[in-house]
Parts: sequence; structure tokens; C-alpha cells
Amino acid sequence: MVILLIVGSIAIGFMVGVLFLGLSRKVKARIHWRYGPPLYQPIIDIVKLFHQGSVSHGFIFDFGILLSLGGAIVSLLFIPIGNIIPLHGSGGLLVVLYLMLIAPFGIALSSVEAANPNASIGISRKFILTLGYEIPFLLIVLSVMTNYGTTSFVEIVALQRASHWGIISMPLSGIALLLILPAMMGIRPFDQVGAPQEISSGPKVEYGGIYLALSKIQHIYLIFIDIALFVALFMGGSSEPLTFFLKMLPIFLIVILVSTVYPRFRIEQAFSYCIKWPTIIAFLGLLVVIWR
Amino acid sequence: MDREQVIKALKDSGKWGHKYSFWVVYFCTGCGIIEIPPVITSRWDAERFGIIPVATPRQANLFLITGYVSLKTLRPIIRTYEQMPEPKYTVGFGSCPINGGMYWDSYNTIKHLDKYIPIDGWIAGCMPRPEAIFIAITHLWTMIDKGMANAYKKYRKQYKYYRRNQEMALGELQWPPLYPIDEDE
Repeated sequence: MVILLIVGSIAIGFMVGVLFLGLSRKVKARIHWRYGPPLYQPIIDIVKLFHQGSVSHGFIFDFGILLSLGGAIVSLLFIPIGNIIPLHGSGGLLVVLYLMLIAPFGIALSSVEAANPNASIGISRKFILTLGYEIPFLLIVLSVMTNYGTTSFVEIVALQRASHWGIISMPLSGIALLLILPAMMGIRPFDQVGAPQEISSGPKVEYGGIYLALSKIQHIYLIFIDIALFVALFMGGSSEPLTFFLKMLPIFLIVILVSTVYPRFRIEQAFSYCIKWPTIIAFLGLLVVIWR
Repeated sequence: MDREQVIKALKDSGKWGHKYSFWVVYFCTGCGIIEIPPVITSRWDAERFGIIPVATPRQANLFLITGYVSLKTLRPIIRTYEQMPEPKYTVGFGSCPINGGMYWDSYNTIKHLDKYIPIDGWIAGCMPRPEAIFIAITHLWTMIDKGMANAYKKYRKQYKYYRRNQEMALGELQWPPLYPIDEDE
């Protein structure tokens, strides 16, 4: 039964993530007044990348990318997708906090082996950005745990269904998470890490073929996990996958609209943004939760 | 995507992927690059065919050389081409890479690019319109379908010829040969 749940969770994460990626390209194209690629374009890209040749730079290069993909998949298993939550007995929110750091760490290992200066710059930017958004994210998670008195996703969702959504009982924390969501997903205006125009797509500069396919799949899971976290913590989760997906859709569209309109921050602007407004709002949210 | 295409895609998914997902390195050698921004932005929108620009040769599978090739830019062109993973396709854009064009008499441009790297197809004209790029792409689709877009195999097979031409143009090359060269042939 657990195996079935794990397979189902991974499959749903992949399909919804691919759909989101295709949708984002289509929505961006429509905003640019273009027709845009077909909705299944990410699948074509991934199929092509698996058929393309590639160059390996050593064992750590192969291992790092697998580590980052594995980290993304494992953290997916702790997220409740509707009633599908394979590893609900253990950990919960705290484990997800730790596991979400494995993905950038794996990419960093892999890029060190490639020894490309662009990759090193990209990795240093990634960790600066991570340092920026982890502070408000920890404050938000702390206020959620304080408010509901538990670290289990199942109980948080159940408590929200008993009263009302988290965004109503702690609006400041919800807003703060929405503000750092693009930074966590690594999309514009926070795509300094893989900026193609500045540092030749950063850590991905030496990836080709199957490596690029794996890193693309990892990005797909990352998008899914970040939006699913918001829905589970602040929008009441769901009792079935379909409603969960319908709740994820507007959040994703908001993020995409912001990313289409705004240009890229410089890395120090992104860092000072992250530790200024989202942190202040998240801290106020924590104070309100404690004093209530 | 109609039913016929679905069957085709399932039968040979690699070909399907290579056809509808061209990731392009645009080599901005000359005036030809001015035709590329309209192609990839709103006016002609190349992304509806899956064509997107990428920043590094490792991720690309189509190489578009837009404009004249001077001796100085020939070196990075060869390096970029050799770094691209197979299968890779090359298209020369404009009349300058085909036969020298208006730089026929110039002392520091090369006249025939296909002596130095293998080319799958040419887009003739000075300048070609952006539509010509899409015509070239549809020709490339047909060639991939029929298995004719195999210039990269030719490069492996006749590497001695290409390497000799490169050395004649550039003098001593600073990088080792990509494929082993048999001196006995």
C-alpha cells in the first residue's frame, strides 16, 4: 500500500509539474502577444534530452545531480497531495525543512566537479539566495507550528478543515510565504542562479543531454513542492488530489504573472529584499500568533 | 497533434524529440544576427515550434552561423561545434558563409564554411528574411525524418580532412583532435 502511494505521489507530482511548466510557457507567450509552444512542450524537451549525447566530468558530477533529484523526490513524499501522503507517520514539516536543502546541495556538488567558473558563480548565488529566503521561511513555519501546536501535515490540514483556512487565521505569514515563493522556486525575478544572459545558465552550464533532463525533472518537482507547501499550510489542503490541484493553480498563475512582468533582480537586491519585507511581515505574523 | 503524428512519435520518440525541440546557439558573427531577435520574439515567435535560444553549447542541438566568418571567429566556431553533444545540426545563414558573399576579396574571412565544419543546410540571401529560417527548419524536419541530416557523422568520418583544413586556415591548433586521426589512410 505504501509503495502504491509512493508511486502515485511521484507520478502525480511529475504530471502536475509538467503541466505547470507547459502552462507557464503558454501564459508567458500570451502575455508577450505570441502564440506559444504546445502545452506538452516540456515532455518533448525531456524526451529529446534523454536521446541526446552528454559529457560527464567524473563520478561526483553524476552523483550530485542524482542526489539533488533524489532529495526533491523524497521531500515530495512528505507533502500531502490531497489524501495521498506516503510518509505521514514520521517527521512532517521539520523533515521537509531539512530535505528541501538537499536539492541545491546536490547541484553544488555536481558543479564543483565540472570546474566551470560560471557554475561556481551560479552556486554561490544559489546559496546567498537560500540564506535570504530561509530566514523568513523558518519564521513562517514556526508561526504555523505555534498556531496549530503540531508539526504533522495531516493534523494541520485536519485542523484547518475543522475551523478555517490558514490564510485567514494567520494572514501575515501567508502573505510572507507568497512573497518569497518565487525565490524558493527560482523563477524570475529571482532567477539569478540560472541567468542565461549573465552567467550562461549558471550551474547548468556543463549539463547536456541526460544531465539536463534530470535537472529539469528536479526543477519540475521543486515547483510542485513549493506550491503544494503553500496550499497545505495556508489553503486548507484537500481531501482529494483534484481539488488540491485546483487550489494550486491560482497560486501558480499569480507567481507566473509576477515573473513575466518583472525583470531579474541583482543578487544583492534579491538578498536584501528577502531579509527585509518578507522577514518583517513573517516576524509580525509570529508575534501575532504568540500573543493571541 | 493528430493521430498520425502520435503513432510516429511513439515509433521513434528520439526523432520526434529532435525535430520539435531545437535548442539553438546563435553565433553572432555578423549582420545576420539582426534577423534573430524578431524570430525569437513576438513578431515571428519561434517558440511555437519549440525553438529556443540557449546560452551554452552543451545544451544545444542546432548551431546557426549568421553572417561572415573571419579567421578570428572561425576558432570559437570550431570549438563551439565540437562541444555540442550529438546529434547536432548546423545551418549557415546568409551568403557569406556559403561562398564568401560580399567579402570574397577580403584577406581575413574564410570563403567556404563547410570546409571547416560540416553543414546540414544553407539559407541563401543577403539578408534572408526571418521566414527563411522557418523554411529551413521545415526542411531540416524532412531531412531528420529521412535520416539525411547526418553531417555530424560526416565530421567523425572525415575528421582528418576537416582538421587539415582548420590547420591550414588557423595554423597550429591549441586543442587536441576530437577524434583519433589515422595517419596511414
